[in-house]
Amino acid sequence: MSDIAPILDVRGLTAGYGDTMVVRDLSLRVQPGRCVVIIGPNGHGKSTLLRAVSGLMKPFAGEVWFDGERIDGEQAEAIALRGMVHIPQGDGLFADMTVEDNLLMGSFPKASWKDRQATIERVYDLFPIVRDKREQRARTLSGGERRLVGLGRGLMREGSILLIDEPSLGLAPVMIDNVYGAIRSIVDADRTVLLVEENFTHIGEVADEVHVLETGSIVRSGSLEELMADRTVVETYLGVL
Amino acid sequence: MSSSDLVAIVVTTIVFGSIYGLVSIGMTLIYGTLRILDMSQGSMVMVGGFVGWGILTVATWNPVVALLAAFAVTFVLGVFTELISVQPLMSRRGEIDFEMVTFITTFAVAIVLANLALQIFGPFQKNVPPIIHGGISIQGVHLDYHSMLMAVTSILLMIGLGLFLSRTRWGFAIRAVAQDLDAARLMGVPVGKLYPLTMGLASALAGVGGVFLGALYFASPTAGDLPLLTALIVVIFGGLGSLKGTLYAAYIIGFIQALAIVLVGTTWSLPILYGVILLVLVFRPYGLFGNPSEARL
Repeated sequence: MSDIAPILDVRGLTAGYGDTMVVRDLSLRVQPGRCVVIIGPNGHGKSTLLRAVSGLMKPFAGEVWFDGERIDGEQAEAIALRGMVHIPQGDGLFADMTVEDNLLMGSFPKASWKDRQATIERVYDLFPIVRDKREQRARTLSGGERRLVGLGRGLMREGSILLIDEPSLGLAPVMIDNVYGAIRSIVDADRTVLLVEENFTHIGEVADEVHVLETGSIVRSGSLEELMADRTVVETYLGVL
Repeated sequence: MSSSDLVAIVVTTIVFGSIYGLVSIGMTLIYGTLRILDMSQGSMVMVGGFVGWGILTVATWNPVVALLAAFAVTFVLGVFTELISVQPLMSRRGEIDFEMVTFITTFAVAIVLANLALQIFGPFQKNVPPIIHGGISIQGVHLDYHSMLMAVTSILLMIGLGLFLSRTRWGFAIRAVAQDLDAARLMGVPVGKLYPLTMGLASALAGVGGVFLGALYFASPTAGDLPLLTALIVVIFGGLGSLKGTLYAAYIIGFIQALAIVLVGTTWSLPILYGVILLVLVFRPYGLFGNPSEARL
C-alpha cells in the first residue's frame, strides 16, 4: 500500500484551542479507497484532528497534504471545494431546512449543483428512510435519522475523502446498526473514509486500519485484528468488548 | 364602522405594510445571515430617494430606469459597506463583541453617507415625482396609483426574494449560513463572497423602497432616519432574524396604524402603534415570531 500516493497525508500536526494543545505532532496517511478509523477517548483530540484537517481551525504547526497539494491554513470552504467532505460531530444539519434542502446544500459546489437531482435520487435509493423524511425539517428528526441525512449529504458531491466524526454518538444500539450499515455501503463503494469513534463495537465492519489516539497522539496502529491481539491495547483502550 | 372606513383600513394596511416590509426585510436578511443590525439600511433608502430625484426630476428619464438604477447603486453601496465596515472584523469575530462593533461601524457608514449627501445635494428637500400620476376612488377612499404600485412592487420584490432564497444555489447558501456557519463552510460556501452579496441585496431592496418613499416624502440627507427607525421596530417586533416574522410584523404594524388613523385620527396613530408594540414586547421580548435561542431565515 505504501507506494500508492495517499489522498490525505498529515505530517506532524499540532492543533488546539487558545494556549491548549489538543493534537500533538500527529502524522497519518490515508490511502485511496481505504477506511481508516481513529479510536480514542473523549477529549483526546479526535474531533480537533478532523477540524484542523478540514480547515475549520488553523493548526499550530505541521502540514496537511490533500490529493498531492498542501492545504493547511486554507479556509474550510476552499478545502471543501477541493473534494474533502467533513461530516462533523452532531451532523451539522441546517435545522430549519427540510431534509431535501439539506441534501441539496451538499451539492453546493457548482459542478455538483448541475447534477443535484440525479444525485439526490441515488442518495434516496441508498437510504430509503431519508426519502421518506424529505419534506420534514431537520430539527424534527431523531438522532439516527439526522446521522443518515448527514451521511447522505456527504454523498451529494464528488468527494475524494469523507471525514466522519463519531457517527454512533448518542444513538440507540439499533440505530447505530443502521448508521453503520450506511457507512459500510459507502466503504463498499470504494470511497475513502477517515472515521473517528470512541466506540470499537461497530468499526470491525468497516475499518481497514485502526489508529489509537491518546492525549492527541497516535499510540498504536494496525488492523483491528492486530490491535485486538495486543492484550495491552485491549485492556487499556478497548475495555470490555 | 362604514364600508369606506373598512376600505380605507384595508388599503392603508396593504400600502403601509408592503413598504414597511420592503425597507425592513433587508435588515432581517442581514441579521439572519451575518448577525449584524445593519444601521446603514436607512441610508440606502435615502440614497434610493436621491437616485429617484436625479433620474425622474433632473434627467426626466423613465421611472423604470430610476427603480433599476436605485437597485444597482444601492446594491454596490451595500457591497461596499460590507467590505469596509464588516469584512475587516470577520477574522476577529471570536475576540470582539461582533454585533455591537458592527452596529457601530455600520452606523458610522450611515453618518458618512448622510453627510456626503448633505455636501453634494445641500440641506434642502428635493421633490421626487410619483412613478405614476393619478389615482382612483373606491367607496369614497382616494387611492393614488403611486401607492398602489409601491405596494405591488414591494410584494413582488418580497416574493422574488423568497423564491431566490428557496430556489437558487446562492439563496440556499444564504439560508445555510444563517443556520450554521461552520456547516455551510464545509459545504463549500464562500462566506467571504456571500456576506457582501447579502448586504448588497438587502441594500438594493431598501434602495428601491427609497424611490417610492422619495415621492411620498421628498429626498433629503435625513430621509433615511424614519425608515431606519421603522425597520428596527418591524424586525424587533417580528423577531430578529425571522423573515416570516418581519413580513407579519410589517403588515400587523400597517394594520394597527391604519386602524388608528381611521378610527382615532392621524395624530394618535403613532402613539397607539408604539403603545401596542411596547405591550407586545413586554410579554414577548423576542418579538412575535422570534424565540430566545434563535430566529433564522
